[in-house]
Amino acid sequence: MFVITIWVASTIVFFLPRVSGQNPLAEKIYQDAQRGGYQDPAVQERVRVFEQKYGFDKPLWQQYVKFVSEVVQFDLGRSIYLWPKSVNEILAEGIMWTLSLGLLTLLLAFLIGSAMGALLEWRRNNWGLMVAMAPILALSAIPFFIFGLVLQLLVFNIDREYPLVYGYQQGVLGWPDWSDLSFILSVLKHGLLPALSITMVSLGGWAMGMRGMMVTTKGEDYMVQAEAKGLPDRVMLTKYAVRNSLLPQVTGLSLALGLIVSGVVLVEIVFGYPGVGGQLVQAVSRSDYPTIQGIVFLLAFGTAAATLGLDLTYPLLDPRIKSLAN
Amino acid sequence: MRPLTKVTEIPQISTGFGSGNIYRERILPLLRYLRRNPLLIGGIGLLVALFGCVILGYLFYEQEDWMGNKQGVDGLTRADSVTAREKPSWNPFGVHPLGTDEQGRDILAVMIVGTPLTLRIGLIAAAIGVGVGMILAFLAAYVGGWVDGIIRVVVDSLIPIPGLLILVLIATSLNPGKGLTVDQMAFVISILAWPGPARAIRSQVLVMRERGYVEMARMSGTSTIGIVFREMMPNLSPYVLASFVASVAGAILASVGLEALGLGPLDSPTLGMTIYWNIYTSSLLKSLWWWLIPPIVVIVLLFIGLFLMSAGLDEVANPRLRRRV
Repeated sequence: MFVITIWVASTIVFFLPRVSGQNPLAEKIYQDAQRGGYQDPAVQERVRVFEQKYGFDKPLWQQYVKFVSEVVQFDLGRSIYLWPKSVNEILAEGIMWTLSLGLLTLLLAFLIGSAMGALLEWRRNNWGLMVAMAPILALSAIPFFIFGLVLQLLVFNIDREYPLVYGYQQGVLGWPDWSDLSFILSVLKHGLLPALSITMVSLGGWAMGMRGMMVTTKGEDYMVQAEAKGLPDRVMLTKYAVRNSLLPQVTGLSLALGLIVSGVVLVEIVFGYPGVGGQLVQAVSRSDYPTIQGIVFLLAFGTAAATLGLDLTYPLLDPRIKSLAN
Repeated sequence: MRPLTKVTEIPQISTGFGSGNIYRERILPLLRYLRRNPLLIGGIGLLVALFGCVILGYLFYEQEDWMGNKQGVDGLTRADSVTAREKPSWNPFGVHPLGTDEQGRDILAVMIVGTPLTLRIGLIAAAIGVGVGMILAFLAAYVGGWVDGIIRVVVDSLIPIPGLLILVLIATSLNPGKGLTVDQMAFVISILAWPGPARAIRSQVLVMRERGYVEMARMSGTSTIGIVFREMMPNLSPYVLASFVASVAGAILASVGLEALGLGPLDSPTLGMTIYWNIYTSSLLKSLWWWLIPPIVVIVLLFIGLFLMSAGLDEVANPRLRRRV
């Protein structure tokens, strides 16, 4: 399945831009040539040379075979706009920001949300919890980045100095300097709002999923037995109910990944975060197809790989699956 | 001893369609059920209220342009016309109830025109997505064999791919620079709107196929088409409706996302495009809060309405979730 997903993704990524029948490479070269103010006689020649470099002069199927074989080796080609920078170099700048933001918020939301859902079902008639859940559930209906805009509005009216966009304080050097403590603080300060907007919105979904599973688990025979044995409430909750309800949540995790990745990309755009989402917008506005293809492929690959990873770890978490397979 | 009831006094058992009063048999139980499903009521109510505002706006809202002529909502949302040009960035404390944007468009009018446009994208895309998904689901469940295999592999391999990114590729390749029209947006989004419904409905069909009443119909010689449309469809409809509402929300999310990326219909004042222009011109830093708040509020209301509706429909489709009375 994983291989097929990767193949489908790379095929889509290869064919879609070519269906459009435009030539961003030639357009870019003509643009550059015109910017100089005089007509460069060699411009046609230059287009031809660059098309050869990109392999656009070969028949489509040869291009396709070359593309897929290169993509499998993670060679995503070179950017058109930022020639001769390779797409891999561009992605290397952005992916760490995206990955840390995405993974951290995913983990936080998953853990807190599941805990809330478990408590919600366990302490059934606790009004405080139910009142706290209402706004969180309402939040879960709206997209991440819309809530991000709301946060921006709120924070801007409270503290005009608070950084609303970008990922870090651009110091004297203008590029990240990880040895500087104030730089690291500025990274945290910049990352707080994007992280908050993703975490807060995803809490509700996990909480509801967990609550549903807890309802099922509470009806199981072993819960009745645990209660009959006179086990303390806390042990029953943590060792019996939560442990068994958490498993299906992991399945939900692998289903939600695609949506989360799309959501994180949009949040990055709202907050001007320096991850691959921001790079995607830039590449779109510059018609830089190799970079767009690279980002889309990388994220599709990452999501599929994470899904595969979750599927593979599932038997470790749930020994019943393993014994079934044997 | 109790006297035996006469045969004629045995209440008539309803035989389904076309017998007796439609209101009493179909609509009244529905209304009675709705009263027990506050989520569904709330969701429908919210959306109806929103749409009511839109209709009222189309009928009654008008403003004077700078030349003193009355303009309806369509005139007030044209940024390129002379009507707008003289009133950029007016705050909401004057004659325009929600102020005007940088192009001089009346923001209340933009909301009135934009809400149905955004909803239209969601409805078209979801209708195509659920329709195609349903056909594929029945094909997969009924033909089985390699047809089922292919459909399953395609669906399973598409679901992990982040949909928005593929849509970005499609939208950039289709019409770069000029942006798509509202209807083209809907069709683009519908391209990826079918795998989810197909998967959900297929598993329902597979379960339903083994039920007693379907078996009964099969044994009494009903054709496959008859079983699908007369026996299964009525029972599937809550699922289909729930997955339709979820698809509308998903499609609107995708459209607003694409628009926020700058890939939407540049000349249509949809909600997502209003958000895009806000991000693009960094309106917040210019303190144009009255331009940013309305689209956010409407989008939030729209999503919460759809969310409540789909939660309510889930309850219809899955009786285990129903509240004990």
